[in-house]
Amino acid sequence: MSPQLPAIHEIWVYLSGSPLLALILTLSAYQAGVMIYERAGRNPLANPVAIAIAIVATVITLIDMPYAKYFEGAQFVHFLLGTATVALAVPIYKGLGALRGRILPLLAALLAGGATSIASAVGIAKALGADSAIIGGFYAKSVTAPIAMGVAERIQVSPTLTAVFAVTTGILGAILVRFVLDAVGSKAWWQRGFAVGVAAHGIGTSRAFSVHPEAGTYASLGMGLHGVLGAVLIPLAVRLLA
Amino acid sequence: MIAGLVQILLFQGLGEIVARFFLPLIPGPVIGLVLLLAWLRFRGSVPQSVDGVATAFSQNLGLLFIPAAVGVVMFWPHIRSHALAVGAALVASVVATMAVTALVLRAIAKDGE
Repeated sequence: MSPQLPAIHEIWVYLSGSPLLALILTLSAYQAGVMIYERAGRNPLANPVAIAIAIVATVITLIDMPYAKYFEGAQFVHFLLGTATVALAVPIYKGLGALRGRILPLLAALLAGGATSIASAVGIAKALGADSAIIGGFYAKSVTAPIAMGVAERIQVSPTLTAVFAVTTGILGAILVRFVLDAVGSKAWWQRGFAVGVAAHGIGTSRAFSVHPEAGTYASLGMGLHGVLGAVLIPLAVRLLA
Repeated sequence: MIAGLVQILLFQGLGEIVARFFLPLIPGPVIGLVLLLAWLRFRGSVPQSVDGVATAFSQNLGLLFIPAAVGVVMFWPHIRSHALAVGAALVASVVATMAVTALVLRAIAKDGE
């Protein structure tokens, strides 16, 4: 009827060729995830990041968009991970004031937790017969994803697989943290926060902030310290073990 | 807001330069983090604009992981053939890490409550 309007498939070709589609998809999936999380009364099982990943993965599979094509557009969001890592200096700086006599226990707990993370993941995966490509993805998985991917590049394992494991670890940590810490009888908010920050980095920290501000501060401290120490120690440890 | 973002981006850039030329073992953003932390310590306070940007980032950190994590579709066939090993390792490891960290803290910290 109005021949000057472009046909729908032309609009589609234009949209799928620009970063816009991937950006809209990523942001709206995250928005949907957050809405479902809030609707569910912030139930840890309704993790917003897990919901968003499921939505995006389903949509790009349905519209037959290759991952590389999606990432071309979504890399603008991905790039900000590095910026967000730098910005972690702010919560760490604020947390430093509250440290007082806690620095030694925190460092000891961090080293024990970090070592447990690598040893348990690599040990179990090996025992159950995973191949070396998969095992490589486990080395940096408890470190926050942008640092984990940097470490993965340096120890020559797949950054994408590392990121997938890191994000899954974050989601699992955010879901399980309450049960695990209740089971081991951890009560103080600063200890609970630090434990989830060390084990489940950014996603655990988001969860900690949504539960208690002191837990959130210590979670960012745990994530930040684990990131900085992990960036130095994990490549060294891998080199020693290899 | 923009002023804060500019400062954080500057530290990120500085970190990338230091990583490129002096410390190739450590990712640039981590060096940027340490440099920004040192600058905040030196300054003695957090500029309001930087604080605003940092808060926005920490509240929406999850969003930034989505593009990389969707890469799971690429690895899906490989992961599925090792589903038991991957699943068991991920779950057991995060549980053990949280438990060990919390137990060590409780054992040696004096102000537990």
